Amino acid sequence: MKKTTQYILTAICLILVSCTNTLDEKPQGVVSSEDLNTPENAEKMVIAAYSALGNDYWATPYSNMWAYGSIRSGDAYKGGDGPGDVGDFNAYETFNLNRVDIGNADGTWFRLYLAIGRVNDALARVNNLTAAQLSTRLSRQAELRFLRGHFYFLLKILFKRVPYIDETIPKTEYDKISNVDLTDEQLWDKITADFRFAGDNLPVDQADKGRITKFAAKSYLAKALLYQAYVQDNQNNVTSINQAKLNEVVSLTDEVINSGKYSLSADYANNFLSRFENGPESVFAIQYSKDDGTPNGRTDNGHSLNYPMNVEYGCCGFHTPSQNLVNAFKTSSTGLPLFDSYNTINTAAGDDFKTNSFDPRLDHSVAIPGHPYKYKPTFIFQVSWTRAPQIYGRFMSLKETVLPDDPAFKKFPPFMSSAKNWDIIRYADVLLFKAEALIELGRFNDAVPIINSIRTRARNSTTLLKQADGSSTSNYKIETYQPGVNCTWTQAYAREALRYERRMEFAMEGYRFFDLVRWGIAADFLNAYFSIEKNRASHLRDAFFKKNRDEYLPIPLNQINFSKGLYKQNTGW
Amino acid sequence: MLIAALNSVAQTKTITGTVTDQQNNALEGVSVGVVESGRVSQTDAKGKFSIQAEAGQTLKFSYVGANPYSLKLGANAVISVQLDLTNSLNDVVVTGYQKERKKDLTGAVAVVNVKDIKDIPLGNPVKALQGRVPGVLISADGSPNGGASVRIRGIGTLGNNDPLYVIDGIPTKRGLQELNQNDIESIQVLKDASSATIYGSRAANGVIIVTTKRAKAGYSRIDFDASASLQFYTSKIKTLNAEERGRAYWQAAVNDRSNPNVNQIYQYDWNNNFDNPVLNRVIIPEFIDGAKTMRSADTDWYDEISQQSLLQSYNVSIANGNEKGNSLFSLSYYDSKGIIKETRDKKLTGRINSDYTLLNGKLRIGENFSGTYMKDVLIPTGDVTGLSQIVFSVVPIYTVTGGWGGPAAGMADRQNPLRLIEDNKQNYNNFWRVFGNAYAELQIIPKLFLKTSYAIDYNGNYARTLRKSYTSGFLSDPSNAVNTNSNYDGNRIWQNTLSYAIKKDKHQADFLIGQEQISTIYQGFSGSRQGLALENLDYAYLDAGSTTKDNSGNGTANSLLSYFAKANYSYNDRYLLSATIRRDGSSRFGKENQFGYFPAFSAGWRISEEKFIKEAVPVVSDLKLRYGWGKNGNQEIANNATYTLYSAIYGTNAVGNYDGGTAYDISGANTGQLPSGFALIQQGNNSLKWEETAQHNVGLDFALFNNELSGSVDYFIKKTSDILINPAYLAVIGEGGSRFANGASMQNKGIEFLLSWSKQVGKDWNITLTGNASSYSNKVTVLPPEILTSYPGNGTDKNILGRPVTSIFGYVADGIFKTAEDVNNHAIQPGKGIGRIRYKDLNGDGTIDALDRDYIGNTAPKWIYGFNTSISYKNFDLSFFLQGVQGSDVNNGYKYLTDFSSLAPGANFGSRTLDAFTPQNSGSDIPSLTLVDRNNEGRTSTYFLESGSYLKLRNIQLGYNLQPVLKNLKVQRARVFVQASNVFTLKSKSYTATDPENPGNAYPIPLITTLGINVSF
Repeated sequence: MKKTTQYILTAICLILVSCTNTLDEKPQGVVSSEDLNTPENAEKMVIAAYSALGNDYWATPYSNMWAYGSIRSGDAYKGGDGPGDVGDFNAYETFNLNRVDIGNADGTWFRLYLAIGRVNDALARVNNLTAAQLSTRLSRQAELRFLRGHFYFLLKILFKRVPYIDETIPKTEYDKISNVDLTDEQLWDKITADFRFAGDNLPVDQADKGRITKFAAKSYLAKALLYQAYVQDNQNNVTSINQAKLNEVVSLTDEVINSGKYSLSADYANNFLSRFENGPESVFAIQYSKDDGTPNGRTDNGHSLNYPMNVEYGCCGFHTPSQNLVNAFKTSSTGLPLFDSYNTINTAAGDDFKTNSFDPRLDHSVAIPGHPYKYKPTFIFQVSWTRAPQIYGRFMSLKETVLPDDPAFKKFPPFMSSAKNWDIIRYADVLLFKAEALIELGRFNDAVPIINSIRTRARNSTTLLKQADGSSTSNYKIETYQPGVNCTWTQAYAREALRYERRMEFAMEGYRFFDLVRWGIAADFLNAYFSIEKNRASHLRDAFFKKNRDEYLPIPLNQINFSKGLYKQNTGW
Repeated sequence: MLIAALNSVAQTKTITGTVTDQQNNALEGVSVGVVESGRVSQTDAKGKFSIQAEAGQTLKFSYVGANPYSLKLGANAVISVQLDLTNSLNDVVVTGYQKERKKDLTGAVAVVNVKDIKDIPLGNPVKALQGRVPGVLISADGSPNGGASVRIRGIGTLGNNDPLYVIDGIPTKRGLQELNQNDIESIQVLKDASSATIYGSRAANGVIIVTTKRAKAGYSRIDFDASASLQFYTSKIKTLNAEERGRAYWQAAVNDRSNPNVNQIYQYDWNNNFDNPVLNRVIIPEFIDGAKTMRSADTDWYDEISQQSLLQSYNVSIANGNEKGNSLFSLSYYDSKGIIKETRDKKLTGRINSDYTLLNGKLRIGENFSGTYMKDVLIPTGDVTGLSQIVFSVVPIYTVTGGWGGPAAGMADRQNPLRLIEDNKQNYNNFWRVFGNAYAELQIIPKLFLKTSYAIDYNGNYARTLRKSYTSGFLSDPSNAVNTNSNYDGNRIWQNTLSYAIKKDKHQADFLIGQEQISTIYQGFSGSRQGLALENLDYAYLDAGSTTKDNSGNGTANSLLSYFAKANYSYNDRYLLSATIRRDGSSRFGKENQFGYFPAFSAGWRISEEKFIKEAVPVVSDLKLRYGWGKNGNQEIANNATYTLYSAIYGTNAVGNYDGGTAYDISGANTGQLPSGFALIQQGNNSLKWEETAQHNVGLDFALFNNELSGSVDYFIKKTSDILINPAYLAVIGEGGSRFANGASMQNKGIEFLLSWSKQVGKDWNITLTGNASSYSNKVTVLPPEILTSYPGNGTDKNILGRPVTSIFGYVADGIFKTAEDVNNHAIQPGKGIGRIRYKDLNGDGTIDALDRDYIGNTAPKWIYGFNTSISYKNFDLSFFLQGVQGSDVNNGYKYLTDFSSLAPGANFGSRTLDAFTPQNSGSDIPSLTLVDRNNEGRTSTYFLESGSYLKLRNIQLGYNLQPVLKNLKVQRARVFVQASNVFTLKSKSYTATDPENPGNAYPIPLITTLGINVSF
């Protein structure tokens, strides 16, 4: 008996010590950072950085800036079911309801830094390889720096002062970098330095259509320098315009123009049709795809709220053109914009579009009841397709959508979207950057042919604007500026013409608000807009733009808290 | 009860005898005293005693847990006494790898009276415990498969708050809904650290111990239980009918001085006078769509989606036992059709518990095994109930051609709820679980036992679902798809214990050492394909699809290794001491912190055994003071939290969310295989360690008047530190900033009462009243400053520190503006106006903005309580059980729709909108209807906060014992009963929806009426 006991006790002791390795569990289905330093994987990390271009969605859109640049600009209302439907956007639209703790702004900030994180991760790996290991090293470095420039550019125009982090900074130091370490000017210099490096080192052509090229980089550099040229003080007032920067804009845009790589699409419509994507006018576009092995396609989710409420689509009626914008498309009897009088009488419905004359870009940009939707004469836009006409009117946005039978269309109920690319920079933009720089440099006469080339293309873009019986959808009349004939071309006039031209050409494309801020006229323009528009759209009754505050979103309170007060709030907030 | 045999005797002599319980088990340690002489003695291990006494004197027998018994000596010198031990103090309680008598307990352990709940057919025994155990808050909805959330002593951590379940000694984190309720022998709840620490690693949220039935020696029985219930939906929300919805819209439009006829459904015959508007008639169009396919209807969606439903429950068990072994076999079938159409849960369980005695009783080998199969119809019930509120009544269920009705112009993009039911009713999930252990227990020397147990706990799901194409109003999806998914989750648990008990004179001690090893694995995958030629589940296999393919799969694993020891000591049944130590290792923590130590000790003092009570206060039958302290651990974090990891994320199924994928169409091909990279998904933290909960518990157990009145009071302080959090982080950290850390602390304090009164009145009446109540308060004591905004507060001066984690932060709604003067006198508040909500200017700066928010409520109840009454009279038994919570705030989301026309303009509203403020109805406190919410009234404010207090008649049951009638048929037990659950609810007037227990769109809680029978042969 005693022996048995001893055996058993020995056995117990063995049991108690036998399991030393049981707590080693290997992570499943994942890789470590070290695994990703090979040239092959570094290339893949570059792809991961590119993929961040389109990894947003409707609540925090940044692939397109409609929620920040369009509904805050007088071009569009938020749309949707009512002010409470994605209510944060209502706060942007009305300005006076905006707050420091709004989640969508924080989300957009977060998603953009996430994108920057992917770039920095990839860039550090590419930097660590030699050209012998990775033959594409220089191009990849340049592509990545372009991408980083793009994401910081978006942060800059939204929030003004943001923390700047590049691939050289170890992660442990990130929480020591404030959003005010760099001045406004220095932050622009960082952004332009990335574009400059990209422009200097990228190849002129890339085998992959989605890769960034030299002249795309130079175009974006011109854009960033143009923004930087309008010098702001700490209260967001535009105090001067930097002539040297403007000259650089002119020379850069000339390089792009003279490269012969781009031209205006024959028809304005081509820019908004999937079958023409990556066309001659597309300088830098986000490449979307579907039927690509992902559950819903790598589609344009930033726009997925912006489709009509009919059986072919079904959701969600956001981003509806304002009455002011529709009125703005009216042209004078000589085919020029009605700078001062466009907004006195509404062009609202039916015959209004026959009795007045219009810039053809109206029917490319705005869905109007009774007009063909997206150029399809048998697919007539109905009031019933709008979501809340009693609040947000009877118009809808057109450029971002595709037809239900378009091969790029993708439905994933309740939302839908498309694999149609979205242009960040079109060649028309490059042309108008140059025109703007010339005007502000005092060379306003040189801007005339540029603006006219845009208007001429618009005039020639009515082929698809036809009803089923072949008649013109609206009454189009648009003319070029002919100094001394139909206008007196002074610098002030040229400036007004340029700004109006940008509004027409890029209506609903998401950058209008940032133009207004760049030019220093946001407060004046928007408060004038609200004073009239509030009687048309009652959700704007209390809207008010607070000068020296609302030019920028507040730094999200979350980020100030996470930084333990290191980040400083924007002026006025 | 007493049986005594007396022989005649003359003078002082030695009286001997034995004391046993009713089952003739010898009772050791019974104190035997001669009242007249003061002599005392005690029974030995065989229950024998001897004492000097003479005839005519009185012998007094006392034993803890038994009613004291006195006997006047006659002539007999040898007597035998039987003591009644039916008092619950002698219940054996399973407290962790061992059993203790309840009277020896020093921790806070609640014993559930299983008899009270066994016939309540809720599909989950835990649901029936609601309100029956002080300090345990159970919340559940009414879904047929019976999921429930259990919070023992409140919310103690910021992560997972689920308790640990221990079923027949096997720990598991799954609840009890997969268990056959009739198999349960006992349920104990270990609430404090000193009792739970033996389960160290995962016991911080409390432990629920379940023991299933076994056959006993000399026992042979067949049990059969059956019941059938009808379930009713009694908490429907009142929505507007087609005409009323039109009227509400008209009112909103004229309030805004906006033409009411500018809308897409209704037209109005009215006087066109905004100053004194009069509505003559709402004109509902014949069709609500331009294509004239949807004829205007007056659908009550809540009626359409719901049904009276049948619930059936059957159980049969066969038990057989003798000296060599015993076995129990049971089968049950549960079939609950829900009160939402097509919802259904079918559950089949089987169990075999058996053991065998070998080597002359020295070796016992046994097993407990159960298998469960569940089949649930996959109806998206949350959507269905929510949509019934949202979809307009004017929308028909079907189009004129028999297609689906759906939203028309001017309505929100919401699905026809009946379509969701019909198009999903073919889809169901199959769930299986095998759970059980095999064990061997060897008696090495007397009282020294070695036990080893190997358990498996595997469960899995399999579902093949068909998504149908549809057109429903302006919503449509021409694609269809089949999705097949399968996963399994497994635990293997190996336990070894060595226990020894020793007893000498008045000293009694037992010891336990043990070791436990748990490994867990999860594997899952799914595949889908679109383009099915037939929308029929028999056709819908992956092979049958022709377009878009997708698949996914993942896996994870973790393990635990623990050592533990426990010692209990008691002196003279009067002083009790217990100490526990457990050392736990988890694969989830960093190498240097894998192991944590979890000690506990407790002490008890049975005051009633002291002379000064025993003699001076004889009404006291039992009085015990307990104190315990201990530490528990928590490891509920991701398995790989210590590692920095990248993952290939080709693309995600991101509907309504961002796609974090790493694939990009770099070639511009628009389609086909894309190149893809990797994304950082988390940062490792190698210093992660156990979250710890330390708890003090002091308790008092008492019984008075021969145990007629008994009860207990417990007070606890529970402090959780190093709480495992995955805090939000500075955005610049970028992707994969998610990083688990030990960061926060919180504290719970609470008190629990239990009182029970039981009395036999006359020969035929038995009455038992049991009441319990408990209260606790929670506060967050430490939180890293940078994550304060992740919790209710403004992120700066007002934060959650020092407040309950369940706080609600928002504006104070101060009624509505009734006059222009009210409006003018108020602070600057964008959007203010007559009929609008006035928000309080809390900081007095003359402007209503984000700085005017404060803590306005707490969703945790102040008190939870239950009260049970059982009465039996002859062969009748009646019980009713009331349960309630008091002092909780509910953020009533329904109010968004029931009170407003502007917060969801495309939805149907509630009937309260008809009573909204107008100049003519100025007494109303419901804001004026408007088309446009300019006043931001959807903000979190006290307007939405309502009292969540309620009192429910949870259960009432009447039974009749047929056994006496059927005695001749060898029936051991026969009982029929009728009962009803969720019979009525008393709620606060301030709660404007229907069921404060179920404030969201969760599955409605039904009224259940049941007819049942229990028979045993």
